[in-house]
Amino acid sequence: MDNRPSTLADGLLAALPIVLGYFPIAFAFGVAATGAHLSPVEAVGLSVIIYAGAAQFLTLALITSGAPLLVSAFTLIAMNLRHVLYGPSLMKRAGPDARRRWSWFWAFGLTDEVFGAALGQLARGRRFSEPFMFGLAIGAYASWVSGTVVGAWAGGGALKNWPAVEAGLGFMLPALFLALLLSILSRAQLPAIAVAVLATVGVTLAWSGTAGILAGMIAGAVAGLVPRKVVDAQ
Amino acid sequence: MRSEILILALMVGAFTWAFRVLPTRADLSAMPEGGLLSRFLAATGPAAIATLFTASVLPMVTGGLPLPLAGGTAAVLAVFAATRSVVGATLAGSVAYGVLFALI
Repeated sequence: MDNRPSTLADGLLAALPIVLGYFPIAFAFGVAATGAHLSPVEAVGLSVIIYAGAAQFLTLALITSGAPLLVSAFTLIAMNLRHVLYGPSLMKRAGPDARRRWSWFWAFGLTDEVFGAALGQLARGRRFSEPFMFGLAIGAYASWVSGTVVGAWAGGGALKNWPAVEAGLGFMLPALFLALLLSILSRAQLPAIAVAVLATVGVTLAWSGTAGILAGMIAGAVAGLVPRKVVDAQ
Repeated sequence: MRSEILILALMVGAFTWAFRVLPTRADLSAMPEGGLLSRFLAATGPAAIATLFTASVLPMVTGGLPLPLAGGTAAVLAVFAATRSVVGATLAGSVAYGVLFALI
C-alpha cells in the first residue's frame, strides 16, 4: 500500500493510456460529425457537453436518421444509464472515509475507461483522493475534446485519400464496444447479453436500427430481472 | 449551433452528469443483493453495450462476414485477453481492421 497522498499529477500520469486511446477515437468522431453535416462547433459542443463516446456516435446516427428529439434523448439517456453503477462501486473501493466534496465536478469525467483506470489504480494500492480523480478525469476529458477539435477541423473529407485509415477508424467504435463488453463480462450477465443481442438483430431486421437499439437495451435489462435460479434451471 | 442539437446535448449531458455524480453521494451498496433494482441496474450496462456492439456491426455482416471484421474482432479478443486493456484492445482492433482492409 502506497501511503503517500495521491496527487493531481499522479492522476494525470494515470490518465496517460486513456489520453492515447481517446485522442484517435475523438478524432474519428470529429471527422464523422462534420461528415454528417454538423458544424465544427456542434461537433465540439457534443464532446464538451455529453462527453460519452458511444452516445455521441449514436447521436450522429439519430440526427442523420431524422429521429424525433425525445426519442433520441431517451435512447441516449438509456445508453448512459450504466454509469449509475460506477460511483457506488468506486466509492465502496475508496473506503468509508473517502472525501467526495468535489465529486459534482470530477465525477462528470467518470467514463467507462476512467472508472476502469481508477479501480485498477486503487486495486494496486493507490490511495483514493479527490485531486487524483481530478487529474484522471481532466486528462481524459482534455484528450477527448482536443481530439474532437482536430477531427472537426480536419473535416469530413479529411480521410478520403486514406481509405484504410478511414476504415480502421470506422471500426474503432465496434472495437470499443466489444472491449468494454469484455471488461464487464460475467457469467451472471450472459442471459441479459444474449437476449439483448437477439432482440437487437430481430427488431433491426424487422423494423429499424433505432428501434433495434431500444429493444435490445430494454429486453436485455428486463432479462436481468429473471432470478438467477430460474436462469440456472433452464 | 442549431437549437435542436443544443437541446439534445444539454438533456443528455444533464442526465449523464446525474448518472455519474449523484451515485457517488448515495450508498447504493446498501441495496439488497439480488433485489429487483439491483438486478436491473446490473444487467443494464452489459445489455446496453452488447446492443451497441451488435447494432454497430450488423450493417457490416449483411451478406457474410468480411475478413477485416473477423480480423478486427479477433484482434480485440486477443489483445484484451493478453492485457485486460480496453484502450489497447480497441486500438489493436482498429489497426487490424484497417490493415486487412488495405490488403484485400
